[in-house]
Amino acid sequence: MNHADANADQLAALKAGARDRSRASTWALLALLGALFVWSYQGSEIDLGMLFSADGGGAIAEYVERLFPPDLSAKVVADAVEGAWETLAISLIGTLLSVVIALSLAFFGSRNLVYAGLLYEMESRRHLVLLRRIPYLAAKAILNFLRTIPEMLWALVFVFLVGLGPFPGVLALGVHTGGVLGKLFAEVLEDVDLQPVESLQSTGAGKIQILFYAILPQVLPQFISYTLYRWEVNIRVAAVLGFVGAGGLGQRIHIALSLFLEQQLLTLLIALYVLVTGVDYLSAYLRRRVV
Amino acid sequence: MKPAQQYHLDGVRKVFGRGQVALEGFDLKVARGERVALIGPSGAGKTTLFRMLNCTIRPTSGHLRIGGQEVADLYGRSLREMRRRIGTIYQQHNLVPRLRVLHNVLSGRLGSWSLLGSLASLARPSQLETAHRALTDVGIGEKLFSRTDELSGGQQQRVAIARVLVQDPDVILADEPVSSVDPSLAETIIKLLIAISDDTRKTLLVNLHSTDLALSYFPRVIGMKAGVKLFDTATSRVTPELLQELYSGHAPVNGAGEPYREPEHRRTAV
Repeated sequence: MNHADANADQLAALKAGARDRSRASTWALLALLGALFVWSYQGSEIDLGMLFSADGGGAIAEYVERLFPPDLSAKVVADAVEGAWETLAISLIGTLLSVVIALSLAFFGSRNLVYAGLLYEMESRRHLVLLRRIPYLAAKAILNFLRTIPEMLWALVFVFLVGLGPFPGVLALGVHTGGVLGKLFAEVLEDVDLQPVESLQSTGAGKIQILFYAILPQVLPQFISYTLYRWEVNIRVAAVLGFVGAGGLGQRIHIALSLFLEQQLLTLLIALYVLVTGVDYLSAYLRRRVV
Repeated sequence: MKPAQQYHLDGVRKVFGRGQVALEGFDLKVARGERVALIGPSGAGKTTLFRMLNCTIRPTSGHLRIGGQEVADLYGRSLREMRRRIGTIYQQHNLVPRLRVLHNVLSGRLGSWSLLGSLASLARPSQLETAHRALTDVGIGEKLFSRTDELSGGQQQRVAIARVLVQDPDVILADEPVSSVDPSLAETIIKLLIAISDDTRKTLLVNLHSTDLALSYFPRVIGMKAGVKLFDTATSRVTPELLQELYSGHAPVNGAGEPYREPEHRRTAV
């Protein structure tokens, strides 16, 4: 057999192998996903008939009719503006708090900074490296805990602890988003380009010097970008947090809904729309500037 | 009084994670102030060797002594001090792209600066004259305040050399310093490195893809292949047969530049 034949045979064998593997695993995955959807469809008690029935449609139309015209009396508009301002403030201060929490945990939560990889290749004191896993695991556990409890639950806890108003909203946003951003920051830190790190380490630079000279310049734009993105998310969350008594537009929307003040409700919804859209644009603009 | 021996390697072996042997039974002596070129095909273990010589990775077994010091005994401050005395220029990506050139140059001082001093310098650069002089020495003094990612590959390599100047080490290791620059620039950069090491009597080890450059500028040449040393001899005694044996089974490499990087070069364990 000559070379060309051998090569062709090998290629054929490789292709067959790749096809078998990808076919089997793809079908298994699709079947699993399909089963999951069927199960979820039943679990969520979907009834499209109810949504589109004459009754349902009529109720929706009737409700929408009652929303108009929006109540634009000075008092209601002033209240909506105040609520929007409060929601904006909650989202801003909450996001700021989350950045403080994230920054104080993310560095401990990235393996490559704490105990593994390039920075520890030459460390001969292995027991120290083992000990260093403790702060890493602790930081990871705290971040997970903060993140897995949703903002609404945090808000309920903080309303109970510090009373009604914007303050529990700020705490709830800060704590949950702190967990989210902390995880994202740690992932960015673990993904940093190592070549500049290696080259700085080889000049005799210490770990904190390397952090400031080689790592932070690489990650800061991504930190800022993630933070702005979470701010966009938080402005919407801040609006909903009001439903559990944490101030802002949400609290006013909740009241308007409960008291059937539909025309005031529309004014508040318009304020929410303007606010969220404005923040989205501002954040997108700022993110374009930093990246 | 400094010992005359810069490097002394004795039976050094390096095995990476999945049992991949990168270096085997490696012996090497380099005298202080010597100028040595390493050549060999990709994957020969040249970069692995350099990463050991600048205390980035440790040998799996065998002895590595630098200036008479056993490297395995070093840790913490003593390890950093040893690294400070070894300057390295990499093939590329030596620098932090988003920092200004001056900070990349001054980062060569980090081993000598205090932590607070080095952080303060990011806001208010200390030793600006030192950085400017080093950049002038490599011919790009006007780039002091430029952002590093705005520079060409050749200019960035000059910045890396300026950083080594500022670091003022006993040894300069250059790991394929000209593989990612214009061939016409390659010779200039090699000459620059030689001039620097001559002026300050530094030991110079250069890892080269181009046998031409190695044979023209270095009195001693080491040929490496598949993790072992094939020859280590005066340049005048390198024969075409020797080179052919070195590169047999590989495409002949002559002239600067080969886009392929050695696989062990990056990310060994993260």
